[in-house]
Amino acid sequence: MAESNSLTDAEIMLKIAGYDSKALEKLYDRYAPVLYTLIKKIVTDKETAEEILSDVFVIIWRQIDHFDFKTNNTYTWLITLAHNKAIDVLNRRGGKKLPEYTDEYEKEHIIPKLSPEVQALELEEVLKRKGKMEKALGSLTDAQKYVLELSYYGGMDQEEIANKLKIPTVTVKSKLQVAIGNLMQKLSEAN
Amino acid sequence: MDKKKGLELIKLEVLGCLNEKDMESLKILKESNDDFPWKELADYQNLVALIPLALEMKYPASELKDKTAMKLYNIRDEIKAKIEAKKAQEISSKPVEEEPQLEELVEMEEIVEVEEKVFAEAEEGVNINADESFRLVSNFKEKNESKNLIKETHDSADVHVLKSAPEKDVIEKITRDYIKTHIEKEIDLLNQSVKKNKILSIILFLITLILIGALYFIK
Repeated sequence: MAESNSLTDAEIMLKIAGYDSKALEKLYDRYAPVLYTLIKKIVTDKETAEEILSDVFVIIWRQIDHFDFKTNNTYTWLITLAHNKAIDVLNRRGGKKLPEYTDEYEKEHIIPKLSPEVQALELEEVLKRKGKMEKALGSLTDAQKYVLELSYYGGMDQEEIANKLKIPTVTVKSKLQVAIGNLMQKLSEAN
Repeated sequence: MDKKKGLELIKLEVLGCLNEKDMESLKILKESNDDFPWKELADYQNLVALIPLALEMKYPASELKDKTAMKLYNIRDEIKAKIEAKKAQEISSKPVEEEPQLEELVEMEEIVEVEEKVFAEAEEGVNINADESFRLVSNFKEKNESKNLIKETHDSADVHVLKSAPEKDVIEKITRDYIKTHIEKEIDLLNQSVKKNKILSIILFLITLILIGALYFIK
């Protein structure tokens, strides 16, 4: 048990790649709350959120070959995977016209494609940055926070945000770019 | 110019709000441009993944772990096929190798049997805790370890005998053993307490009779 607790996220992922179900269980224990929190924020409904979380772990088990063991960024891969899946469910339930959910679709739109230069992040170290992230987000203007929320948690693209806010798409683009740029800057300063 | 455009599109991509046209432009930039800002893409991907940190942590129901294990169990055939394909690939990539192992196939079949048995128990309502249920999914590491154990302790004929033993007999035997060790004891205890109660009732009856008799003589 102690050995299992001392495993890094990357080591757990490596074991999962060998279809070690204990490792998958360990990953579940470690990541379920943080993934569930994100999914629940997106879909809001408890039952749907749990269903999605469960599906995310099935995807991990089935598609572990798509995890990049060179960059080993478990945290960002899992968060992005859960985000993509939750947004997909949200959009489908909202009546958005999307292609049929197939294995190919999953590989193309749900499985994260991280940059080959991405720096590895592990949950334990990430959780230590919680305060800094809250501070960085808090320093954004209300308008910046709002467009970020609409896109990241609301799953809206530029046009949908423009329609909702009744402003031109170009303005939405620029607001989003400024918001994310500012967030990067504030977090770098905090670090 | 391309790099600037790439950077602008990256910021929208990581938030998941690119439209189809921009998505296509970004794809072309990634594929055709040696100067593509991969480092910036990496930084923004990590940044966006940190956004949920600001949320108040919520916890899923504890039963969800069991449900997930069941879902994983249901895709066991797909995973088995993947493992077999992997094994086949490994075998074909080895230059000189021993012939395909019969034991490996036997082992795989055994695993399926054990999994199916436990799954049947689960369906019958036998309580499985979350820790066990995840292991049911298919603990391939353990399987590999057990494979070595099988190799060391049994020859393939023994394994075949084990494999062909009817599951029903095993279950009946387990049930009989359970009744012997648990239920029979309880029945014995019950019988003993009934006997004790009978004796006590008789004694009380006799005492009552004596008292009534004594009262009669006193009067």
